[in-house]
Amino acid sequence: MHWASKSPPAAYAERIHANLDGQAMDSWIAERPVNEIRPGDHAWLAFSGEEQRAHIIGDFVYDGLGTEEKVVYVTDAPADRLPGVRPRRGIDLCTFTHTRQLRVIPRERACLSGRGRFDPDRMLRTLEREVDEAFDQGFRAVRLTTDFSWVLNEPGRSDITQMLGCEHQFGETVSPSTMAMAICQVDKHACPADELDALRNTHEVLVEVNPEFDDGILRIVRTFEPHGLRVEGELDAARHAVFAEKLSLVTCDRRRIHLDFSRLGFIDLGGLNLLAHHATGLPTDDALVLDHLPPDVENVIEMVGWHRLPGLARGQERGMAS
Amino acid sequence: MTQVGTVSEPFSHRVLPYDGIDDFLAGAMPFLRDGIDAGDRVLAVTGIGSEAVLRDALGPPGAGRVEFVAPDRWYAHPARTLADCLGDADRLCGEGRRLRVLAEPAWTARSPLEVLEWQRLEAIVNVAFAGTGAAILCPYARSLPAGVVAAARRTHPETLRGDRAVGNPGYMDPWAYNSLCDRVPLPAPPDDAWTLTIDRPDLYWLRAYVTDYARLTPLAEEDLQRLLVAVTEVVTNATNHGRPPMVLRMWVEWREAAFVCEVTDAGRWPAGSGRGLIPPRPDGPGRFGLWAVRLLCSMVQIRTGDDGTAVRLRLRLPSVPATVGARGGSTTGGGGG
Repeated sequence: MHWASKSPPAAYAERIHANLDGQAMDSWIAERPVNEIRPGDHAWLAFSGEEQRAHIIGDFVYDGLGTEEKVVYVTDAPADRLPGVRPRRGIDLCTFTHTRQLRVIPRERACLSGRGRFDPDRMLRTLEREVDEAFDQGFRAVRLTTDFSWVLNEPGRSDITQMLGCEHQFGETVSPSTMAMAICQVDKHACPADELDALRNTHEVLVEVNPEFDDGILRIVRTFEPHGLRVEGELDAARHAVFAEKLSLVTCDRRRIHLDFSRLGFIDLGGLNLLAHHATGLPTDDALVLDHLPPDVENVIEMVGWHRLPGLARGQERGMAS
Repeated sequence: MTQVGTVSEPFSHRVLPYDGIDDFLAGAMPFLRDGIDAGDRVLAVTGIGSEAVLRDALGPPGAGRVEFVAPDRWYAHPARTLADCLGDADRLCGEGRRLRVLAEPAWTARSPLEVLEWQRLEAIVNVAFAGTGAAILCPYARSLPAGVVAAARRTHPETLRGDRAVGNPGYMDPWAYNSLCDRVPLPAPPDDAWTLTIDRPDLYWLRAYVTDYARLTPLAEEDLQRLLVAVTEVVTNATNHGRPPMVLRMWVEWREAAFVCEVTDAGRWPAGSGRGLIPPRPDGPGRFGLWAVRLLCSMVQIRTGDDGTAVRLRLRLPSVPATVGARGGSTTGGGGG
């Protein structure tokens, strides 16, 4: 057993993560981009669709393989078609399975009972075995992930007690570990909201997509439900170009773009001009939707007049869930 | 978008100098009645006394067709008043209707600086409303200071005498009048103004600096946020078009109850460059930078010449007790308490 007994290699510096405004989140669970997941993190991903999962799990898998960490994925899919892992040019995942750096373990061998039902104990034993092997092989860390949605959809499932118990044990095993980190995936739409919340609360970390841009002043993060960007921090002329570039990135497929401004501290007049300019250039008559506008920003827009910013629409009120 | 020609009458902007109430009614009544008859949207911005007299003269049916507006509400802020009124005029023009405003400015309770800004607006109205077909009649009591009435003859193309409009020989080109308003140099900033040489393009630090100073003054939080947008715009503009060195200075003028933030650079604005006085038309994204800065601040003063360019943003401070003023005064030395 090497969960907590060894010192980790120096690859993971101590990390302090706070929101830009320095405020705590609305729960004790830390929100963290996937590239900041560290050994000891038992992370939760309730994904809204394949695109979001592909961004997060794809980075999780490739970051591990690129830094000589072991990746363990429990799924029935073959290595070259891992759920959420978009094939990347020049990387053949099968070569990693040969070296056992990437372990793709079918459910039957990882976590099913003899009767073909989910067996939490077996899942834990599997993961302990893989971590031990990784240590012996000299990997500095192990990245574990699986999609639990199928467990929630199992026929005859009465409640989520068994699943909660499994997650608790999982968390108690991973959290003190200096080698193991895990992302538990669940399709957001696989179970009722209260069950989803209960499952989420057995984790210490909410994993989210890597920011498209983050220089400490401005942070731009993709959002998937709704489709768009979350803009955090301060936007002025020094960062118009990068913002415009990221805005173009999500301008596709005639999908309505939402900009989540809940954590926007400042936007200059040029930024508002940029938004209006982008909106009038959209292929359809669709508007650019500004969600969760901070009062200071809304105040400036109202003074200038929404009618002078054609193509911009007020979205969800601040403080309302998206 | 302004559609020239949808209103049959051309734009008019006339001054109505008057002595006493009969004189006032002789000019104002035909103006209002013409509007009512033509189906115009008719507004009357007058004090309570004049409103009562006008209502009486119009009678209930006529008075019901006129929207009376209190002057302190109408004349709250030059740039915002112009934007709102021009927006109305444009919209009505698009519908084939005319905006007709009887507007009697309130001059008495204003500081000289404020008077200057409203006089500037009277001139700019001639440029801004051209093509809207709006009719604006401005009554000026002859009892006002002589300079105020004289200025009105320079900023209104015509004077209304009885029912006749006659050209004002002293009428000035609005932009020439605008320059005239700015001919007096700005007083020097106080020696102990907070001063920052702006030498890096990242304005994040500049906003932090402005915030630090503003928090030592009674400037309201909402106004601080507006100031941050305004100063960012002015500095961005100076960075793109001006010449170094660029310097930010801040102080408080307690006597005027004004927070002042000045941005200077060594460049000179080219002749004919916009001053942000005319609201951009709402028919597409345009540059609304300096115009929006005017909306965000109480007042914007601009001087540009061979010595460089200065843009001064002024924000009104809430009335504060003398003790607070004295404390703040020692911080900035910007004036008495």
